[in-house]
Amino acid sequence: MRIPIQVSEENREPIYHQVETQIKALIVGGKLPPGTPLPSIRALASDLGCSVITTRRTYQNLQADGFIQTIQGKGTFVREMESTRMEKTKQKVVYEAFEKAIQQGKQVGFSKEDMKAIFSTIIKKNFTNGG
Amino acid sequence: MQNLLLQVKGLSKNFNTFKLGPLDLYVKQGIVTGLVGANGSGKTTLFRLLMKLMKEDAGHIQFFGRNWTENESTWKEKVGYAGELLDAYDFLPIKELKKLISPWYPNWNNQQFEYLSKRYQINLEEKYEKCSNGTKKKIDFIFALCHDPSLLLLDEPTAGVDIVSRRKMKEDLIRFMEDDEKSIVLATHTIDEINQLCDEIIVLDSGKIIHSYNKDDIYDNWARVWISNLTQDLKNHPNVIHYELTPPQIVTNHMDELESVLQAEQITSLQVQRLSMEEVLEYIIEYS
Repeated sequence: MRIPIQVSEENREPIYHQVETQIKALIVGGKLPPGTPLPSIRALASDLGCSVITTRRTYQNLQADGFIQTIQGKGTFVREMESTRMEKTKQKVVYEAFEKAIQQGKQVGFSKEDMKAIFSTIIKKNFTNGG
Repeated sequence: MQNLLLQVKGLSKNFNTFKLGPLDLYVKQGIVTGLVGANGSGKTTLFRLLMKLMKEDAGHIQFFGRNWTENESTWKEKVGYAGELLDAYDFLPIKELKKLISPWYPNWNNQQFEYLSKRYQINLEEKYEKCSNGTKKKIDFIFALCHDPSLLLLDEPTAGVDIVSRRKMKEDLIRFMEDDEKSIVLATHTIDEINQLCDEIIVLDSGKIIHSYNKDDIYDNWARVWISNLTQDLKNHPNVIHYELTPPQIVTNHMDELESVLQAEQITSLQVQRLSMEEVLEYIIEYS
């Protein structure tokens, strides 16, 4: 039972947060539909090369936010979510991704115009070719 | 969750040419502790002392929160040790070894023994001494797992073991840890095992614990940073473990601290990369 998550070598965010964000994105993007079983905290830690302390924290946060539920003796599963919440989370995931990209642009000293140009190039590239 | 399955305080043992300890060790429930260190750093000696195969000069060992008197061996029923346990009877075939050892444990699970013997393709008719090193390791591993232990003490369990069996052992250990109530102390030289199994890492050097970490702290704190320029102050900074000039880059063991230094010295960080576990352990062992 593997899920497509990766811990970035270049991202300075704590691992638990990276994993949390990625699982949320997989859930709201429909890649992990409600009812999908998730790996145990031990198996996930092994796949990611982190400690169970980190994966436990990730699952606790996801559970508190209503994304997953743990059924005693059966395991952890993706929860059913109302569509309004789903929509909100989708917004948030994308918003955060842009936010991060712009922070990085600022870090290397790009101007607003530089970044707008890059943004429209990427949009063009992704949406003209049948996307 | 934070129960201690094993607690060691001030443990020491003197030999003619080597001294172990004094060392402290805490093994929490639900946690796999990796024991890392060069050959001869004292890992096996530590296991021997824990298993009372050798008497300590000083110190206290508590299993499952209790002090056990010397004659009382009930704690051993809950400990699975894969080390040198079978060497004393190596002239016996494996099935005879089983007949000898299984009565020691009230919770011996014969089904488990048979399942694992098949899984690792052990020929039960073979004498232990005639088995290859890798096969001996697999047999040690099986014997450690068949009496429903709560704590595993594994001394390089996969040394010399073939790739497929290694993978199976890893799976079996993950399954062993699944209920979050058990613990493992794992001496290893294999980076994959540290990455895929361990939560905490203890580095042993010349009989002493020189580092003790949660694995994720290593990821969070250690990094390679490419910078605009390298100053003398930076080269001499205690949190700069290593530097290279072309292109200017440093290795740090404390990213937060380093960031404030860079800011104070007005040095730009161009790129930050986490270090692999292998790199970090090499730095720790080499520069300590």
